[in-house]
Amino acid sequence: MKRQFLGAAVLATAVLGFAFAADAKTLVFCSEGSPEGFNPQFFQAGTTFDASSRAIFNRLVEFERGGTSIQPGLAESWEVADDGLSYTFHLRKGVKFHGNATFTPTRDFNADDVVFSFERQWKTDHPYHAVTATTYQYFGDMGMPDLLKAVEKVDDMTVRFVLNAPEAPFLSNMGMDFASIMSAEQADALMKAGTPEQIDQTPVGTGPFMLVDYQKDAVIRYKANADYWEGKPAIDDLVFAITTDASVRYAKLKAGECHIMPYPNPADIKAMKADPTLTVMEQEGLNVGYLAFNTEKKPFDNKLVRQALNYAINKDAILKGVFQGAGQAAKNPIPPTIWSYNDDVKDYGYDPVKALQLLKEAGLQGGFETDIWAMPVQRPYNPNAQRMAELIQADWAAIGVKAKIVSFEWGEYLDRSKKGEHQTMLLGWTGDNGDPDNFLHVLLGCDAAKSGGNRARWCDKAFDDLVVAAKRTADVAARTDLYKKAQVVFKDEAPWVTVAHSVVFMPMRKEVTGYKMDPFGIHQFYGVDIQ
Amino acid sequence: MTLAADIAVADPVPPAIGPWRETWLSFSENKGAVAALAVIVVVALVAVFADWVAPYSPIAQDRDAFLAPPFWAEGGSAKFLLGTDDVGRDMLSRLIHGARYSLLIGCIVITISLSVGVLLGLVAGYVRGMVEELIMRLMDIMLAIPALLLAIVIVAILGPSLTNAIIAVAITYLPHFTRMVRATVIAEMTKDYVTAARVSGARALRLMFVTVLPNCAAPLIVLATLNFSSAILDAAALGFLGLGAQPPTPEWGTMLAKAREFVQSAWWVVTFPGLAVLVTVLAFNLAGDGLRDALDPKLKR
Repeated sequence: MKRQFLGAAVLATAVLGFAFAADAKTLVFCSEGSPEGFNPQFFQAGTTFDASSRAIFNRLVEFERGGTSIQPGLAESWEVADDGLSYTFHLRKGVKFHGNATFTPTRDFNADDVVFSFERQWKTDHPYHAVTATTYQYFGDMGMPDLLKAVEKVDDMTVRFVLNAPEAPFLSNMGMDFASIMSAEQADALMKAGTPEQIDQTPVGTGPFMLVDYQKDAVIRYKANADYWEGKPAIDDLVFAITTDASVRYAKLKAGECHIMPYPNPADIKAMKADPTLTVMEQEGLNVGYLAFNTEKKPFDNKLVRQALNYAINKDAILKGVFQGAGQAAKNPIPPTIWSYNDDVKDYGYDPVKALQLLKEAGLQGGFETDIWAMPVQRPYNPNAQRMAELIQADWAAIGVKAKIVSFEWGEYLDRSKKGEHQTMLLGWTGDNGDPDNFLHVLLGCDAAKSGGNRARWCDKAFDDLVVAAKRTADVAARTDLYKKAQVVFKDEAPWVTVAHSVVFMPMRKEVTGYKMDPFGIHQFYGVDIQ
Repeated sequence: MTLAADIAVADPVPPAIGPWRETWLSFSENKGAVAALAVIVVVALVAVFADWVAPYSPIAQDRDAFLAPPFWAEGGSAKFLLGTDDVGRDMLSRLIHGARYSLLIGCIVITISLSVGVLLGLVAGYVRGMVEELIMRLMDIMLAIPALLLAIVIVAILGPSLTNAIIAVAITYLPHFTRMVRATVIAEMTKDYVTAARVSGARALRLMFVTVLPNCAAPLIVLATLNFSSAILDAAALGFLGLGAQPPTPEWGTMLAKAREFVQSAWWVVTFPGLAVLVTVLAFNLAGDGLRDALDPKLKR
């Protein structure tokens, strides 16, 4: 009797489950970690952007899904003044903000929301500036406080940004996560209620999904925004099942507990591809992994030495041993998927004889001692820096350069290298607005050499003039030309060994359709469906 | 002379055996300990003659053979008997050279902590009073912190390298030796032979080093042997945490740490260094146990 009853119960549950599945489509994403918070203005991690800006919010302009080109977002159209100093955005009408338990929007999205979102980050006397925190990291790193002259509300549906200097990547910057638009109406309501800090805990945006519930290190639940301006998402519920271990994510994916997972173990890819229930999407990442020479220190101030060490490295072995084939050798500091990539640049091949000869020319035929800093964590652009360092160490030993491998805790590593304590170091970069400026100026310009973001501490007048000129020019063809020239200068001066551009993998279950991999490494689920 | 001869005849004792032979006889009764000693001898020989025994250099990378499996596994070849690691270095050669580092670490750690510990213990046990309080309370403080944690702190201050790891482990072992020597010295000081030596005019240094110290030797040897294995283990642990030997040094703990991610895909990279540590440490522990049984008069039948 008991068993029969149990059987009936199981059957009933199964039927109910089916009925439920037919009614509401739930997509489960096994995410790799908890977001730092739900306000993207404060943070820089992709994990946070997945959970906040890409699900809940929109920006004035949006990147094309799965691409890097700019599309209208909350702004339907825009005009750029001839001098490049002002951008006028015409806002989209009828865009609705989310409602939640404490807030019901009474009006549609308008210019006040745009002004609020930027002034909160920009003006230190803004009532919301010091709520939650005062460091708006990305906003600051992008140089926005100095760049902006005014953010003006022209009328309810028009906003004008006035700049202090022309900035060609400005439009792309407006599509970045820190530029997400929040609700000014909610802010006012919360301020009146005396609980302004709630704005960052109960996020209200215009995006495709609304936040329902969040349990740290466990789960984030969203429901589809039925009034979304691009149309209601195909799925009804979106769940982030937070699973930090890559092998556990894989196990959950196999068991059907989640539909999509990011960042698989490179060693598991083969088994995933062989599994008939899974699809593994892959895409060349918008990234570069490099080794930077500290050009302020001897003997790396000598171009010949830098070139010699470039010639001495066997990149094929690195691609095979470190990337397990999931990457391609890099010759430029920008990946080939970015416009203005100069394919005519010739890479330093693997040529130890030439390397020895160059060292001799530099007066260092006996070799020398140095160090290689290797980061302690796995990054998309470098799955195993320690192993890469060991391979480079052996290559350099062959030409008499004895290198010691040094590593620190990740925060310490970034901090010390920013101060230039290293001689040579491994690092990399994933682009986040698709503009070459985001690599060439941010990583190799003279400004960055002063502030430390340029780990080679390399300030070359010829190179810097080219990339700054490109920043101040709006014409894409002219910029392309300038960036191509800059890449030639870079290669000859060799402040880096450009190691590789990696491939990013995205395993998912067969029933998931419409997923597009994002070149910026962001995961978004609008347009995704389950069959 | 005749008197002596008479006594010898009158009172026949079994032929006197030396203390070394006696120890060996009682040690060799323990089969496990003898086997362990054999293992130690083999490991020591391999370590000493590593340059001739190992088929390749431990740091030579074969770029065409990343993660080659051992010869009996599918895809393996006799070129690399135990396979290769993630950058194409021969596992066997690395293990053989690793034995050299592990034994060296054990020897140096024990030498440092034994000599310093004995000195401090002797002084504390002999002088007593304030000096003893000072030394022993310091040792208590060191004992209050878990050994590995203390070692990590020391390495963090000195910077990660094999030398610093050795120093760190040696410091953490000091209290064991100091406490043991002090306790034994205090016990011995009350004995008649010490009083006799003192009455016959022996000075402090002679009393400490010539009269008392040799009588503390037995427990010290046992403690040294047992700590030898712990020293290897602790140095391997530091290496595993990235605080000990730095690449490309083929230290077993470091090798193990680098191989973690291959637990599922290339078992040999993980298994062999682990086995090497296990076998060596086990051998020293078994031999130490046998030695304790042989040297402890209380356990003698």
